[in-house]
Amino acid sequence: MQQILSMQAAEGMVLAKDVLTADGRILCGKGTALTTTIIERIRKMDISFITVEGHPVQVEGEKSLEQELGDIEEIFSRVKHVPPLMYIKKRIMQRKAESRKAS
Amino acid sequence: MEDTKKSQFRSALREVKSLPTLPGIIAKLTRMAEDPDTTTEQMGKVISKDHILAAKLLKLVNSAFYGFPQKISSLNSAIILLGFNVIKSLIISSSIFELMESQDVELWEHSLGCAVVCSVLAKRLEVSDPEEVSTAGLIHDIGKVAIKMELKQEFEMLKQMVHDRHISMFDAEKELLGVDHAEVGGWLAKSWNLPAKLVGPIAFHHNPLEAKDEQLSTSIIHFSDILIRGLGYGHGEDVWVPPLSKTAWQLLNLTPKDLDEIIDEVEEKLWDVKGFSLEIQAELESGMTS
Repeated sequence: MQQILSMQAAEGMVLAKDVLTADGRILCGKGTALTTTIIERIRKMDISFITVEGHPVQVEGEKSLEQELGDIEEIFSRVKHVPPLMYIKKRIMQRKAESRKAS
Repeated sequence: MEDTKKSQFRSALREVKSLPTLPGIIAKLTRMAEDPDTTTEQMGKVISKDHILAAKLLKLVNSAFYGFPQKISSLNSAIILLGFNVIKSLIISSSIFELMESQDVELWEHSLGCAVVCSVLAKRLEVSDPEEVSTAGLIHDIGKVAIKMELKQEFEMLKQMVHDRHISMFDAEKELLGVDHAEVGGWLAKSWNLPAKLVGPIAFHHNPLEAKDEQLSTSIIHFSDILIRGLGYGHGEDVWVPPLSKTAWQLLNLTPKDLDEIIDEVEEKLWDVKGFSLEIQAELESGMTS
């Protein structure tokens, strides 16, 4: 799942979250494959970002899962003796791994 | 470091000459908000005189960050829907926001993220004024901006200390300046005449035990700062999760199940906020090229 600017939207990408209009109605449901018409509509509605399946837009300098998990270890390296924070760390790591699996 | 040098730093930071003052409109709106005879239209008129502020305010109101269910398109309806006090918080936020955004994008993202966690926690714990708590979260690190702007050379040294010795910015500040960004932020907030509900949490977010009257909101900001760092929104090379205050933890009284739900909710909201941030960055870039 990746968040992209609607400017970056391309035909064939699949929505991972509903696209909502400014007043909260669903313009386009989760699971919809984007077509040029839909992309036009999204841009016309002034919706600036959307969430799509997978990871279609390459961002420069992006990290691998291993690197990201290593970063989390480091971030929590000074609070190893604090049980609630270790619990939070475990949950954040699990979520990170899950989010990569889904894509 | 000699004490004379440290006292020089203190007085320089107390004066904060290079930090912009908050727009005069805030003082005016504060007075208006306190006056029971003020009407929505009058208030809307004052805000709309400052076009940039009005636009920023509407943008902030409509951003995923506040997450109001409906699009709010006019100042008057924003005031009616949200109330004077919320609008005042929003104006303070949007002005300080701008300052942070232009100074330090990373710090701004950390602050925005912290405010998101604050709003989730404030609603969960049913505090009386959740907007105020988010505002405090948003500006809790304003002291860092003051140090960066007022003591440019020392700020570079602080960054170097963090880099070389892997210490936190907080510890580096204490060592080099004899004062830390929380205390500096407290002075600044006071000099701007911000309400005590904001001053306390800013000044004591690293040490909630000392926040006398604002212990719960200070604890919320303290823990939000920790959680948002845990989620990867630190500041520069100072990435570490700071120590957790026992007082704060006991006061918040969160179970593992609470934590799971909070992390879920925060990540969901951050996802939207990240879009908001992308949008602003794209705007900044297009502004630079055009």
